[in-house]
Order: sequence, then structure tokens, then C-alpha cells
Amino acid sequence: MMKREPRVKRALIAALLAVLLFCLWNVGLLDPTRLANGARNIALFGRDLFPPDWGVLGTVAHALLETLQIAFAGTVLGFAIALPLSLLASHLLFPAPLAAAAKLALAFIRTVPTLLWAIVFVVAFGLGPAAGTLGVAFYTTGYLGKIFYEAYEAVDAEVLEAVRSVGCSRVQLARYALLPEAANILLAQALFMFEYNVRASAILGFVGAGGIGFYLLGYIQSLRYDRLMTALLATLAVVILIDRLSAWVRSMVLVPVQKRRRARA
Amino acid sequence: MPIKDIPIAEPVELMSSVHEVGGAHTVALEMSGVWFGYDSSHPVLKGVNLQACSGEMLMVVGISGGGKTTLMKLAKGLLTPQRGSVKVLNQPLETTLTGKLNPHVAYIPQQLGLVRNLSAMDNVLTGGLARVSAFRSCLGLFPHELREEAQAMLDSLGIGHKAQEKVYALSGGERQRVAIARALMQRPQLLLADEFVSQLDPRRRGTLMEIMRGLAAMGLALIVTTHNLELVSRYADRVLVLRAGEVVLNAAPRDADIEALSREME
Repeated sequence: MMKREPRVKRALIAALLAVLLFCLWNVGLLDPTRLANGARNIALFGRDLFPPDWGVLGTVAHALLETLQIAFAGTVLGFAIALPLSLLASHLLFPAPLAAAAKLALAFIRTVPTLLWAIVFVVAFGLGPAAGTLGVAFYTTGYLGKIFYEAYEAVDAEVLEAVRSVGCSRVQLARYALLPEAANILLAQALFMFEYNVRASAILGFVGAGGIGFYLLGYIQSLRYDRLMTALLATLAVVILIDRLSAWVRSMVLVPVQKRRRARA
Repeated sequence: MPIKDIPIAEPVELMSSVHEVGGAHTVALEMSGVWFGYDSSHPVLKGVNLQACSGEMLMVVGISGGGKTTLMKLAKGLLTPQRGSVKVLNQPLETTLTGKLNPHVAYIPQQLGLVRNLSAMDNVLTGGLARVSAFRSCLGLFPHELREEAQAMLDSLGIGHKAQEKVYALSGGERQRVAIARALMQRPQLLLADEFVSQLDPRRRGTLMEIMRGLAAMGLALIVTTHNLELVSRYADRVLVLRAGEVVLNAAPRDADIEALSREME
């Protein structure tokens, strides 16, 4: 038994390596000619990125502002839709069939990525940031909805029983037990989603749904890599800024609460 | 402020915030032949019979896992008996898993069940939710009288000055008082307290038990579960010993000394 265990482990590692090699070969990453060409192209691409063309900074800044608007409005809209839907999906409040139906709806919304939702809304509402905002809102609804109902399910059962005991309705139970108990998770996840949506919104312009993506694609197609570099650097700066801002909000709101809780524990 | 310095209102003052309860020795809870198990092969309660009357403090003792918490949840309607009947305030208990529960039966769980992110005041106000429309309460628009009643309740329990503090920032003793205030906001006729003083030091425990005694004196029916036999001998009107889900003793504590109770529990 003792001797068999390392043998099984070795066989498992060998099998994993074989699968990895097959995948790499199948996607063309074991073709030396191709790899050499790729390396040369990357070097050329890298050379053309510099120096950045700062002349397009005004256009880029305007497009980035639109990207931020899409991300912010989409996150807030998605949050607002996710909140009631997640409550509906909670078996703590509603009968199992209704909760299961709401969970299924959220799973479907979540399965479709932001970019695909954006295409759907470009078809429905035409080109522009409105389609992008709705795309972001839909994906946010699906993602936050799932995180939220899971957060409700993690609420201390004793708290729920105690609040139910006062003879309240389901809506009151949600308002005075589930939501306040899960509030920290809801806020933390909404902030995370905003950060994620800023990054996701940067490519929505690829499908005509507004924002910086339209220019990123345009600069790539017209081989203006110096302008592309300007857009990428500006996007990077905004993403870092949003991350810092989000971390600051977290430290202002969530960390003091956790510290005080720990101090009392 | 340390808890020993917090002024505690006299029971009469405390109960002035509570509405009139039933006449002396009205049966508030009656359990007949109640069986319950979380899985069918292992019953937690086996044919339990008990009565709790207004103006009386019934203390339920037994070792951990003996069925005390299950008994409380059945009395509150959070669980449904598999056999037998539960009558609360002379009405058969309607238990639904998602519907509204009777607000006149208050329940303080072992860990108190307070909402930590809400203030003491908001926690107390939740005790009055059954008296406010869902729409108003969801907007936080509690009637002025209800707010005054909640504040009076906190004042009389000596923590009025902590009304706006979040529960996570309160001490153990203060949280206990918030839980009592929330229960009293329900205008209960029956109060179920599940080992709610078990984690306190003797001084704080004594203070809170005095409050509970005061409530019983004003006509509430109280059922308090505990491990602590000293509390039983000092505060109980009647003691019920649960052993392996069965009632093995139901008597006045003076008729069963502590050593005898201890033997009954084992």
C-alpha cells in the first residue's frame, strides 16, 4: 500500500504532463517557426509603441470618462436590480420553487459575458454607451445577485430566528435582518464589481458599445501603436486610481467596523 | 460605564412600558405529549408535557443536547411537533416555516440574535415590527410613539444613552438588555429566554435575572432555560428537568434541592 501510493502519484503527474503537451501542440505553441515569428512581431510591436503620441490625450481622456460613466452607471443599475432579485432567490424568504426560478434567472444572466450582452444591446438600441451601460448592468446583476443570495444564506440562523420571532413579514425580515447582517459583504462586492466593470468597459467599444475600446480598436486597425500606447497608459492610470479609491472607501467603511467587532469579540 | 454602575429601573417602572398582560395564573403555554426529532430515528423530545402560567418563571434545566433549545423553538413556533400539541395563549400554535409568527410570544435565543450592524434603538424597534406596516418600516418611518416606547424601554433598562450605538460596539451585558428590550417591545404574554445569561459573570447574571423576576411579578409568563442550578434555586417558581428529551421532574425548586436536581440531570 505504501509503495503503491508514489507510483499512482507519478502516473498522475505523467498523465497531466501528457495532456498539457497535447494542448500546447494543438494550439500551436510547440511550433518553433511560429514561436520565432511571434517573438519577432512582438519586438516590432514593442518598438512601434514608443514614443507614445500624447497628441491624442484629449480624445483618450474624453473616451475614458465615457468608460467610467458606463462602469459606474452599469454597476449602480446592476446593484439595484440584483438586490431584489437576490432576495427573491433566497430560500430563507421565499418558497423553494420561486427561489429556484430566481436563481436560474440569475445563472442565465451571469453565463452571458458583458461583451455579449453589449452586442445584444447594440442590436436593440444602436451603437453607443447606452448599450454598453446596459451590458455592464446585466452582467453585474447576474454576478452580484449570486454573491448576494449566498451572503444571505451565510447570515447567522439565530439572528433570523430572533427577528422572525417578532412576527414580522418577509419584507421586514429582509430589511431588518438579512440586509443589515450582509451589508458589509454587499458593499465590498459592489466595490469589487465597480473595479471589474471599469476594466471590462474598456473593451466594450470593440463592439460599438462606447468608451475607450472604440479608440483602442481603431488605433490597432490603423497600426497607430504610438497612439495605442497613449490610450493604454491612460487606461492603466485610471484603473490604478479606481483601485486606490476603492481601497480607500473600504478602509473608511469596512475596516473600522471589523476592528471594532474584533475588539469586542 | 461598567455595568455595575448602570442604574436599573425598578420592575414596576420597567413594566410601565409594557402593556397589560393576562390575569394571574392564566395558562400561557401548554404542551401535551410533544415529540420532535431532527431526524426520525433520534427523537430529541419524547412526549413532553408542560404548562407555563402568567406571573410565573418556569426554569428548564438539563445537560447540553438535552432538548432545551428545541423545546423553546417549538414553543415559539419555529419548529413543528411531529406528535402532540402546543397551545399558546389558549390557541393551537400555527407553525409555518415562512409565515408570520405570533408577536405576543417573545424569544431570546442563546446568542441573543441581535443584528450587529444595527443600532441598539433599531434592534429594539424590530420588536415592534408587527405593529407597523411593511412599507413604513422598510423606509425606517416608525411612528413617534413607537420610538418613544423603545427609548423608554432602553432607559428603564439603564442603557438609554447607548440607543444610537451599533450593537457590535456594546458590551455583553448591554447586548443582553437590548435583547430584553426588543422582546418587551413585542408586548409579550409569554417570554422564552434560552440560556441567555449563561455567558455573563455572576453579578451581571443576577441583575438580569432580577429584571426577569420583575417581569414575572408583573404578570408575564417566563420560560428560561439554564445549566445553572443556583439560578434555579434563587429565581424559579417552578423547575422542569429534561433528561434525554424526557421530563424527569416538574416541581417547585423548594421541593427539589440543588443536589437532587443535579442528580436528576445526569
